[in-house]
Amino acid sequence: MAATVTQQPQKLVLLTGDSWGMLACLCTVLWHLPAVPALNRTGDPGPGPSIQKTYDLTRYLEHQLRSLAGTYLNYLGPPFNEPDFNPPRLGAETLPRATVNLDVWQNLSDKLRLTQNYEAYSHLLCYLRGLNRQAATAELRRSLAHFCTSLQGLLGSIAGVMAALGYPLPQPLPGTEPTWSPDPAHSDFLQKMDDFWLLKELQTWLWRSAKDFNRLKKKMQPPAAAVTLRLEAHGF
Amino acid sequence: MFAMRADSILRAALLPARAPRAGQAFGEDLHRLGRFTLPGSSMTFRDWPRAGTLCGSTTLGLGPRARPRTSDSQERPRGRAAGARGPALGWRRGRAGRGRWGGACGGRGRAGAAAPPAERRAGAAPARRSPGQSVSAVAVALTVACGRLWRRRRLPGLAEVSGPPLACGRVEQPRTGTRRRDGAAEAAACARSPSSSPPAPGRLRTPGSPRAAAERTAGDGEIAARERPADCIARVMDFTLCLTQRSRMVDSKRMRMTSNFQWPLLTFILLYLMNQVNSQKKGAPHDLKCITNNLQVWDCSWKAPSGAGHGTFYEVCIENGSYSCYPSEKTNIKIPALSPGDHEVVISPLRDFGSSISKFILSEKNVSLIPDTPEILNLSADFPTSTLHLKWSDRGSVLPRHSNVIWEIKILRKKNMEIVKSVTHNTTLNGKDTVHHWSWTSDMPLECATHYVGIRCYVDDTHFSGHKEWSDWSQLKNVSWSPDSQTKVFPQDKVILVGSDVIVCCVTRDNVSSAQIGLTKCPLIHLDGKNVAIKIHNISVSASSGTNVVFTTEDNIYGTVLFAGYPPDIPQKLNCETYDLKEIVCSWNPGRPTALVGPRVTSYTLFESFSGKNVRFKRTEASTNESHQLFFQMLPNQEIYNFTLNAHNPLGQSESMILVNITEKVYPHSPTSVKVKDVNSTAVTLSWRLPGNFAKIKFLCQIEINKTNSIQELRNVTIKGVENSSYLVAVDKLNPYTIYTFRIRCSTETFWKWSKWSNEKQYLTTEAIPSKGPDTWREWSSDGKNLIIYWKPLPVNEANGKILSYNVSCSSDEETQSLSEIPDPQHKAELQLDKNDYIISVVAKNSVGSSPPSKIASMEIPNDDLKIEQAVGMGNGIPLTWNYDPNMTCDYVIKWCNSSRSEPCLMDWKKVPSNSTATVIESDQFRPGVRYHFFLYGCRNQGYQLLRSIIGYIEELAPIVAPNFTVEDTSADSILVKWEDIPVEELRGFLRGYLFYFEKGERDTSKMRSLESGRSDVKVKNITDISQKTLRIADLQGKTSYHLVLRAYTDGGMGPEKSMFVVTKENSVGLIIAILIPVAVAIIVGVVTSILCYRKREWIKETFYPDIPNPENCKALQFQKSVCQGNSTLKTLEMNPCTPNSVEVLETRSIVPKIEDTEIISPVAEHLEDSSDAEPENHVVVSYCPPVIEEEIANPGLDEGGGTSQVIYIDIQSMYQPQAKPEEEQENDAVGGAGYKPQMHLPVTSTVEDLAADDDLEKTAGYRPQANVNTWNLVSPDSPRSTDSNSEIVSFGSPCSINSRQFLIPPKDEDSPKSNGGGWSFTNFFQNKPND
Repeated sequence: MAATVTQQPQKLVLLTGDSWGMLACLCTVLWHLPAVPALNRTGDPGPGPSIQKTYDLTRYLEHQLRSLAGTYLNYLGPPFNEPDFNPPRLGAETLPRATVNLDVWQNLSDKLRLTQNYEAYSHLLCYLRGLNRQAATAELRRSLAHFCTSLQGLLGSIAGVMAALGYPLPQPLPGTEPTWSPDPAHSDFLQKMDDFWLLKELQTWLWRSAKDFNRLKKKMQPPAAAVTLRLEAHGF
Repeated sequence: MFAMRADSILRAALLPARAPRAGQAFGEDLHRLGRFTLPGSSMTFRDWPRAGTLCGSTTLGLGPRARPRTSDSQERPRGRAAGARGPALGWRRGRAGRGRWGGACGGRGRAGAAAPPAERRAGAAPARRSPGQSVSAVAVALTVACGRLWRRRRLPGLAEVSGPPLACGRVEQPRTGTRRRDGAAEAAACARSPSSSPPAPGRLRTPGSPRAAAERTAGDGEIAARERPADCIARVMDFTLCLTQRSRMVDSKRMRMTSNFQWPLLTFILLYLMNQVNSQKKGAPHDLKCITNNLQVWDCSWKAPSGAGHGTFYEVCIENGSYSCYPSEKTNIKIPALSPGDHEVVISPLRDFGSSISKFILSEKNVSLIPDTPEILNLSADFPTSTLHLKWSDRGSVLPRHSNVIWEIKILRKKNMEIVKSVTHNTTLNGKDTVHHWSWTSDMPLECATHYVGIRCYVDDTHFSGHKEWSDWSQLKNVSWSPDSQTKVFPQDKVILVGSDVIVCCVTRDNVSSAQIGLTKCPLIHLDGKNVAIKIHNISVSASSGTNVVFTTEDNIYGTVLFAGYPPDIPQKLNCETYDLKEIVCSWNPGRPTALVGPRVTSYTLFESFSGKNVRFKRTEASTNESHQLFFQMLPNQEIYNFTLNAHNPLGQSESMILVNITEKVYPHSPTSVKVKDVNSTAVTLSWRLPGNFAKIKFLCQIEINKTNSIQELRNVTIKGVENSSYLVAVDKLNPYTIYTFRIRCSTETFWKWSKWSNEKQYLTTEAIPSKGPDTWREWSSDGKNLIIYWKPLPVNEANGKILSYNVSCSSDEETQSLSEIPDPQHKAELQLDKNDYIISVVAKNSVGSSPPSKIASMEIPNDDLKIEQAVGMGNGIPLTWNYDPNMTCDYVIKWCNSSRSEPCLMDWKKVPSNSTATVIESDQFRPGVRYHFFLYGCRNQGYQLLRSIIGYIEELAPIVAPNFTVEDTSADSILVKWEDIPVEELRGFLRGYLFYFEKGERDTSKMRSLESGRSDVKVKNITDISQKTLRIADLQGKTSYHLVLRAYTDGGMGPEKSMFVVTKENSVGLIIAILIPVAVAIIVGVVTSILCYRKREWIKETFYPDIPNPENCKALQFQKSVCQGNSTLKTLEMNPCTPNSVEVLETRSIVPKIEDTEIISPVAEHLEDSSDAEPENHVVVSYCPPVIEEEIANPGLDEGGGTSQVIYIDIQSMYQPQAKPEEEQENDAVGGAGYKPQMHLPVTSTVEDLAADDDLEKTAGYRPQANVNTWNLVSPDSPRSTDSNSEIVSFGSPCSINSRQFLIPPKDEDSPKSNGGGWSFTNFFQNKPND
């Protein structure tokens, strides 16, 4: 996009042959350079592809998490791997909650929505890495590491979307940096509960993100037909 | 404890001496009283059978049973009340009474009866005591009286007394205030709960303790009371209060029963008063008992005489060698321990004139050793390990040394004090106060419930002859976990052994609804409060993340993780070795998996005991069964290492050890950087690197030397180890100019393991001068002017390098010629020589130098008597033998060439030493079927002489061509054949003969193709004389074509055949005669015939050409016409009515039984038999005439027996015989012949007939082949004909069908008779004929 913007003034320069004009044009170009993202936003391709990519990645991660969670919950043993196991969320207070009231969610701005996503995944990624460190079997560690890499990709993707839309990345407040360290007073059982909740929240977040990005995508790409077509093509 | 002899007692006091009798009398009184007990009163007796005395407590109106009896059921005897009737059952009733008391107090009457004797006794005591304390003074008085009586009675025989004194003696306790009641007994009396009462001492005693019996035998009431803990006083108070309440209730009742009680009450009052008087008279100190807690001071106490006031003083005088007296204000005194033996003790109450002096005999045996009640110094709990730590002092300073002390420790759990553990612990006193420790690990986590600990002791002093008793129980101490607000599950994250039992509890304030381990639900065990526990039996191995135990409350779940695994197995196959003498590698197999991972995984420590160093190994991975390794840095100047590998996990540890001299356990790395350097053409040096510090050891290395096309060679070398890892060794005895492949492996001289082989290194050794001259041969050229020198290239091992050129020189006495620098690929040279003798020498040259010359003489010694021999090879070569010839001094040479080549012919030659007489010529060039010429030369005086000339084949084959033959001459009876030789190349073997076949035959006859000797018409001649080239075949027929075949054969087989057809010449004379004679005869016959014909011409005309009548007048033709018109009345043709036909009887009589319905045997068939008897030939084939038969059937009576021809209708399928019914047949005839209806085509037939004649359907029933017509009708309802037609009508088919074996007639045939106007005709017959 930036290239197209700069080419037209150059042609103009050639036509005029005026050095002052050329200077003026260059100045204009320079003047417009900071506005390029804004142009992008309003422009046709815009952030649509990157949102689409993020959406796709979310769906992929959702799919990936399904197999990972199965493996991990089996590792935790019964009753964690029972299908109707639904313990109250007692521990795991530090985990970012994905559940949100529909009205609240609808009233969120795009920026806030993206920021929440970004923050949530940064936290979840950190916890997930901790999970990886304590896993007892090598195979589990491998699949966790693989998922972490994917999640890192999603985080980067969200950051890309935010940058494309011109939103600043949320800066973690000093001291609130999520650090995963196994609480010595934390019993193994509570740790398992935390792990369970981490996976559950991760899943809910991925669902929510898919919804978020879908909404964002619709907003950015008016032709809805194209969007649905793509969705179908990528339906996981 | 005290003892009194009966005599001394008699001496000391009169009244006590009479006590037994009085007691008995009193008892009898009571018995009597009991007998007269009014309904509503309750009396309790206690008659201890063993003691043989009576000791009872009598309560009146106190039993709960009393009230109902007084009020409304006086006359009704009750089961329990009956017990009060007689003294005989007194003791038993006493028990019952106690039971009632229990019921009144604790509300559980039966519990008392179930309590152990001690409790029962204790239960009885308050029953007797309570009236005295509260309301019933009479009861108290009686009780006291009872006690006194008992006491006095038992004085003489104290040792015998067992149970009853305990019960009675207790009565005094509350009064004196010095004795404590048995806490357990009190509790039992009040609460009446056997489960809640702490056990009596006897029950807690360790099994096998001799004290159990002793204590009970000696069981004096006071001592028993003394043993009870002081803290039970409170319970006594409770009990008292309880009794008071009870008494109050009784009081209110008693008002009503006063009138009934008057008489016994008065009796009791009287008795009481009498007793009082007695006691006034008999007052003396009694019941002396001495105890000690330190064996140094005896604490003796006695009972004050009854009625003695508080101010009574006593003087106690003891005779212990000297006679010493002690004053005492109380009823006890502490005296130093007396020496062994009996001592008289005199207690004289001072200032109490009513009392008398008591004398006792006291010895150590009567003294009880009761240690002080121990005190728990500290009780602490280690909650994570569920361990209790107990600390107490043995107070050894107060007791003599070296006494053994038995400590009994009991652990109680929960608020209701369930005993969970009781153990004994033995120590020895050492004269000082020693603090002892004891730890106990609980099966239940200590957090789950409060745990209490109590301790008591028993001093087992061997020198003390008195009675030894357990001390009182110490005050109980407890540990409990103060729960915070959070619900928790214990134990947390515990590692336990697989198969063990574990209790998991949930400390909570919520209601726990369920608990499960893994997927298994467990029953809940309720603890104090809302805490619950589950017990897991035989826990199984956990998964890597542990076994989850989960408690579910209404709105939450709580859990813990247990890790069930195994302690580490002993490390197996521990082996320590070194690769480089710098680092030791110890490897082992972990053995059985522990099932514990992560922080609980087995950690290994390798400890070296000489240096004291260790290394650790820890892997968080789930331990697989693969080998583990640890590296230990070697220490300088240490060769022997003692390694201990310790495996440790939370469940335990194990270890294995190995002592190694590390210099003997060297497993070198594989040598690297192998390099080869040449020394000369037969020796090289090998160098390699072997990392490590091997300065002190020697290596044994193996060098594997591989040469192309040669077996590998292993050479062992011993090398001294060096520090700088470089090793060098020389390898000699190699061949020049040879490619060698070297590889090396090493081990130490004290062999442990070979290293792995190094990489292979290839090396080509340098060249050397050829070791021999080339193998040479010479041939004269065909023109005899030139001598051609041949030589063979040197083999690799003789060439010692790359042969560059050859030098050839020939020398004679006169001159020398030489040809030099003949380049290598050329292996012959031609020299122009005269016939002189020359010596030719050939020298091979490589880059290093020239070989020694090989020489050969040009001279050839002639040999005349040569003949060519034949030889055939065996396998790959041709064997040649010759006779030994001592003249041959040099060697033999066999040269050979392909015999078809022109001279000089040389393929190869072979030199054989002169002493051999046979050889096998082998060559890759030999081909089967090729003839080779071998020449054997012998060498004599440097000249070669041809000895033998041999032709031979390596393998004979069949000839590939047939001999070319021609017919030289043919005559009328012989052929002369001549053939040519087959060329040697095509013969492919030595010719062994020819085979000649001949036979008659034309050129194109196919059977000529194969000529086998086996065929009789082929004549074979085997010509084994191979020089024969012609053959005459005689005895042939003239002018006949003969087929001649010739083939050659060798030992390899038959060659192809060559064939030729030859016609023999004819015999001309015979031919002429054969022509002339027939011609002559023909002419003569012709002439004679002509003459005769002419003469008899009329006769001939008559004979051969008569007049032919007009056919229109032929009667025969007229007849036929009328037959066709159906004129049945014509009888002119009766004589020849028809063309006889034959009926073939297909089924003879013997088949008849096959009929399904055997009863249906046609009478006609029988008739046939009869007729066949008459005409035997007719039984198979019957002539018949259809029209006649028709008539005969129509009128069976007419021709019966007369008809020679009888038609028999046989249905092959049904064997249905025509049971002719004339009427029906007539009907059929009238219709015009329904004809035969084939069974199979019945419906079809019916349709046809439908079309033809609908009206006649009913009458023409058609063919019914089935025997039972009714059945048929039923079976085929869809056939309208069958159903419609009269079932009785049976028609039979046309006789024409008889010839039709299939019994099938096309519908046309049936129609045709109809159209023809009736009957059947020949048309039918002929038309049926094709069906045959």
